[in-house]
Amino acid sequence: MDKELKLSDLHEGDELSSLVKHIRQEDINRYAEASGDFNPIHIDEDFAAQTPLGGTIAHGMLVLAYVSEMMTAAFGENWLSGGKLSVRFKAPARPEDTLTITGKIDSIEHKEGISYANCGVETHSQNGETIVTGKATVRFCS
Amino acid sequence: MKRRENNGKIPIKIEQLAVGYEFPPSIFELEPVVVSKYLEAVGVKNSKAPEVVPPMAIAAYTMGVVAEAMALPAGTIHASQEVEFFKVVPVGATIDCRGRVAQNINRGQLNLLSIELEALDQDQEKVLSGRATLVISS
Repeated sequence: MDKELKLSDLHEGDELSSLVKHIRQEDINRYAEASGDFNPIHIDEDFAAQTPLGGTIAHGMLVLAYVSEMMTAAFGENWLSGGKLSVRFKAPARPEDTLTITGKIDSIEHKEGISYANCGVETHSQNGETIVTGKATVRFCS
Repeated sequence: MKRRENNGKIPIKIEQLAVGYEFPPSIFELEPVVVSKYLEAVGVKNSKAPEVVPPMAIAAYTMGVVAEAMALPAGTIHASQEVEFFKVVPVGATIDCRGRVAQNINRGQLNLLSIELEALDQDQEKVLSGRATLVISS
């Protein structure tokens, strides 16, 4: 599914076009500048090495930006003006990880003239570790 | 992105964050250069100047407002996030970012802190709401 999806295109079980992102420390640093989040766990390698995490990790919101990018590609303005995301961060994403962001349409609902696509979303690292898991809902106004 | 105003208060300590505490709101102008910087940071390559602010950028800026108002210790971990988008926000718009403490539980050496987030446009219409849960080492 490479084009933006319309309601009539949607079927339960359909997989969204996945996204692959390779994270470098440089990207994490850039995200810190862009977001204003300079928590040293993300950008100070010496500090992070002394923590139980053993090294720097990517911002959770950076990983969620990737999830939102996948949803935007799939659903366009319906996501931008009617999207809802609820996720848990299961494991940190680290520099040099390659993340695969996936989504699947779990169900389609119709309520009071509005249709909703309920999707499961996940992000995995190259080791198969789950980084993010959760739900994303897209609202389509009839 | 220019922060035009905030209350300039000293960061509040985590243990002082009572449920219902409302963080000082902060107004942001979502200038093209700032949105472009965000897009570059999240790896979105586009030769055209952005016209729409990515909703997760608004979430990030709103979180940033709240985080600045708290004396968060280094190493704070983001455990979960909920966010809902209501309106497309054009680049150049101004948003009013707000946060409110929903939960602050101490469990031994950890605090679980949940913050409700909200961003309004210049018409005072909601563009985003959400909830972030942080794990903070005492």
